[in-house]
Amino acid sequence: MTAEIIVVTSGKGGVGKTTTSASLATGLAMAGKKTAVIDFDVGLRNLDLIMGCERRVVYDFVNVVHGEATLKQSLIKDKRHDNLYVLAASQTRDKDALTQEGVEKVLDGLSEDGFDYVVCDSPAGIEKGAHLAMYFADHAVVVVNPEVSSVRDSDRILGLLASKTRRAERGEGPVTQHLLLTRYNPARVAIGEMLSVKDVEEILGIEVVGVIPESENVLTASNNGIPVIVDVNSHAGQAYSDTVARILGEERPLRFIDVPRKGFLQRVFGG
Amino acid sequence: MNARMDTTDACDLRFGQVGIACVRVRRVDAAALCDELERRVRAAPQMFARAAVVLDLSHLLALPDDGAVDALLEAVRSAGMLPVGIAYGTSETEALAKRMGLPLIAKFRAAYEPANGGPAPVETPARAEPVAQVQREPILSAPAPGSMQGAQQHAGSVRSGQQVYARDRDLIVIGAVANGAEVIADGNIHIYGGLRGRAMAGAQGDAKARIFVSDFRAELVAIAGQYRVFEQIPDDLEGQSVQCWLDGEKLMIAKL
Repeated sequence: MTAEIIVVTSGKGGVGKTTTSASLATGLAMAGKKTAVIDFDVGLRNLDLIMGCERRVVYDFVNVVHGEATLKQSLIKDKRHDNLYVLAASQTRDKDALTQEGVEKVLDGLSEDGFDYVVCDSPAGIEKGAHLAMYFADHAVVVVNPEVSSVRDSDRILGLLASKTRRAERGEGPVTQHLLLTRYNPARVAIGEMLSVKDVEEILGIEVVGVIPESENVLTASNNGIPVIVDVNSHAGQAYSDTVARILGEERPLRFIDVPRKGFLQRVFGG
Repeated sequence: MNARMDTTDACDLRFGQVGIACVRVRRVDAAALCDELERRVRAAPQMFARAAVVLDLSHLLALPDDGAVDALLEAVRSAGMLPVGIAYGTSETEALAKRMGLPLIAKFRAAYEPANGGPAPVETPARAEPVAQVQREPILSAPAPGSMQGAQQHAGSVRSGQQVYARDRDLIVIGAVANGAEVIADGNIHIYGGLRGRAMAGAQGDAKARIFVSDFRAELVAIAGQYRVFEQIPDDLEGQSVQCWLDGEKLMIAKL
């Protein structure tokens, strides 16, 4: 049994890759899948903060790649979910510390340990770190914000996924592409300040697998080291749950993409 | 750890966009050329002194003999610039470049081989042309050798940063051409989908080439080197099915 490898990527920085990686990995674990999430952003590690395990990092990804520690020593078990593990990036090294063979060895090791899913949190850009994060992927979650520069960068990434991955090189069929629209604000879409779901789908030529509404809960959750998907009361958390279910093959309608209608009392009293 | 070979490549070999000035020779007069270039170098030494240049002979009525080309190259050198190649013109130019021991620098936007031995291209009116441009980015799907010279098909989107080139034939794209992507053909270009990037037909100078687009939002269209950029797409064309063709030297665009 080999683990399914999912890369979370975007090209552009700051669109929500790490937030998505954390929630996706947690969601898969909540669905009963043994899941590891790896931070490929060597030198600018963040995933450990969002996952709330920053004080428990002893050995990291680069240590394993260089054979200075075993996988077992480096995998950090999540506090809340038994079958969820985090492999943190090194903050003191740079992206050249990763090698293709080393990454392959880690991914093979995770497969041998019986992991169902490995989520690779890609750094921004299209250089070495991002290349290695996507190279071995079976699935790609391309995170895009509803604005033109993000859409163009995602387009570039979609092109690279079709040519610069192991699957493409070996002719094993394409990497399954999932487009995830984050920071979506229906009110701003309605007044034409933001691209709509339809606009983005049309420009990129693929359908979205989920739409995550812009929400204060995301920032709060990140600051508290809790993936937002755990916050079942927040719209963003619910949207991530839907997304994970869709990636696992379930069909669910898109939610939170229209301007919420104000109730009668709200209309009378404002708010 | 076991001694593993460093498998990273010893070098990167890539086609990049480099700024090389292009000296388009209008008459075979080494002395005049030297004077002219010297004046340019003096006017902007930081820009032109020891600048790499390619010699473009495609606008001469006939290719000069080897001695004359030698003289022209020497003229460029004595003016203070460094000739590094000859721009692609015809197969004769190619042979000439070989004899001179210089590389041929191909560029897409030059007017190339005169059609069926017709009159060589006469001087086009001076217009701002981007400096000589070398091939960029990997070119996707080169035609299989020996295959029938029908149109080249590309199914699926051409993503930002990708370039598709159909050599010596038409190109059919079934999908969208994204912002920042480029489709080029020596013949016509048909795009069944949105064109948000660039399309260049008649790349070797075929002025009869046309571009057909089912959803027009282009950054740039060009036919045989005549191009038009769209900072703002005219309202009557945006999102429409259009065709582009050359009327003399004017690039025409109209709804289908």
